[in-house]
Amino acid sequence: MKNSGNFVGRSLMGVLSFLKDSVFAEDYASRNGFLQGLDPRLKAVSFALFFITAIFLKRAELLILLYLICLALAVLSKINLGYFLKRTWVFIPLFSLFIAIPAIFSVFSPGKVIATLQLHYFQLTITREGLQAAVLFVLRVLVSVSYAVILSLTTRHTELLRVLCIFKIPQVFIMTLGMCYRYIYLFVEIIENTYLSIKSRTGGIAHYKKGQKIVAWNIAYLWQRSYVLSQEVYSAMLSRGYSGEPVILDSFKAKSGDWAWLFLAVIFFLTLLYLNGKLI
Amino acid sequence: MSKTIFELRDVYFSYLGKFPALCGVDITIEQGSKISVIGANGSGKSTLLHLLDGLIFADKGSVKFSGKELSEKSFNDDNFSKVFRRSVGLVFQNPDVQLFCPTVKEDILFGPLQLGMDKEEIKKRFDEFVAILDIEELLERSPHQLSIGEKRKVAIASSLIINPDILILDEPTAGLDPLTTRHIMDLLIQANASGKTIITSTHDLHIVEEISDLVYVFSRDKKIIKSGQADIILKDTELLQANNLVHIHSHRHKDKTHVHPHAHLDHHPGS
Repeated sequence: MKNSGNFVGRSLMGVLSFLKDSVFAEDYASRNGFLQGLDPRLKAVSFALFFITAIFLKRAELLILLYLICLALAVLSKINLGYFLKRTWVFIPLFSLFIAIPAIFSVFSPGKVIATLQLHYFQLTITREGLQAAVLFVLRVLVSVSYAVILSLTTRHTELLRVLCIFKIPQVFIMTLGMCYRYIYLFVEIIENTYLSIKSRTGGIAHYKKGQKIVAWNIAYLWQRSYVLSQEVYSAMLSRGYSGEPVILDSFKAKSGDWAWLFLAVIFFLTLLYLNGKLI
Repeated sequence: MSKTIFELRDVYFSYLGKFPALCGVDITIEQGSKISVIGANGSGKSTLLHLLDGLIFADKGSVKFSGKELSEKSFNDDNFSKVFRRSVGLVFQNPDVQLFCPTVKEDILFGPLQLGMDKEEIKKRFDEFVAILDIEELLERSPHQLSIGEKRKVAIASSLIINPDILILDEPTAGLDPLTTRHIMDLLIQANASGKTIITSTHDLHIVEEISDLVYVFSRDKKIIKSGQADIILKDTELLQANNLVHIHSHRHKDKTHVHPHAHLDHHPGS
């Protein structure tokens, strides 16, 4: 039951539930859509090309075209467009808007004046070059974030981890990341259950000093649990023959459709770069 | 004449050098036998199993595997280490410890891949165990999404796929429903019938008789207080009561209150 006065409690449960939903939910990844059906390795390579394209494009219309293709891919992959837009646009102000706003003024981007703002003794001038640079920057972030979100939504986290092999990331590093993913959930559950057990014994209200003590003890307990767990997991690895260099089974199998998709992505990448060079 | 695979003589072990876990343990385990280790919580059962799996080493005394002393030094030899790990499989008490990979499939395949088993053989054994344990639909799931029974099945599969000659199990039926317990018991009995040595630590006295030729009882002072055939040990109520393995049960019939020891021996799923 929700307690409107318990801000910290609700925030904690909210964060935990967000973690569970965002990190562990594989609802979209298990759907039978276009991107879900592609070989994760080739999909990752094609998306790497899209990211590179977004970095090099200097024309807003081409970035918009790249964004529209991303939206089309989302629809083809059976992703709810409203959910997708909400998930991407929430990051845009965070990553770009606050950085881009100062760039529109003449202090940072001198050029042709299009508007002037008078703030008491200060005069802020917006320039055409500044505005263009800001729009380009926001668009670039928008496209990159959108492609990153669609890739993570349509690929299981376990596959994303294995895909890292093709980028020559050491296997031991990938395995450690996989274990982090595996055990975060366990610790999220421990925190959740600990919070509920404290709540059940304190009735939801505790003096702040007592609260501080409980939180400190629980942080220490969680640290101790994770330390013991790491030792036990290492023993379990040794028991099954681990000797410092993990071996994995490559179970990916690319079909002709996957190669066709990669071919199309390369053609699209080169065309956009060509148009970009021609339009400048 | 059967071959001795483990021989422990006057073994002592303590955690951090100050918390004793085993105090003078002597055990001999023959190939193809079924051994159970029973005792109260904290009596040293899990420590003994970790010692047998070469994960920890005795502070004092001798632990021999097929006549060779088990020590940290012996595991520096890659050949010995591989032979040992292929011969001995341990199913941990907490399946969350044993299932550390992102998916069930990767967890089951972890052992054989590390031990350099042939890919064709791995695939054959993988398909076989997936069918036996009926875990096909779990393969792409993350271990955290499984129930405790499913986790135990996967943990057992991840050890059995290596095809070890000796299977060590730490509380394999703890917290399981009767049907899953039966399933796991059948699997162990079948593995023993095919020549594997089964060493089990358990609190579930109702499974002991079926999975033991010989039972070792640990006392609270971390020693083996008694060993013998399962039926004889399980009839020794005084011994079981003194070592926290049975409790006094009180209930009423009409107007009379009955008090007697309760060993959970009559709840066998198959009986």
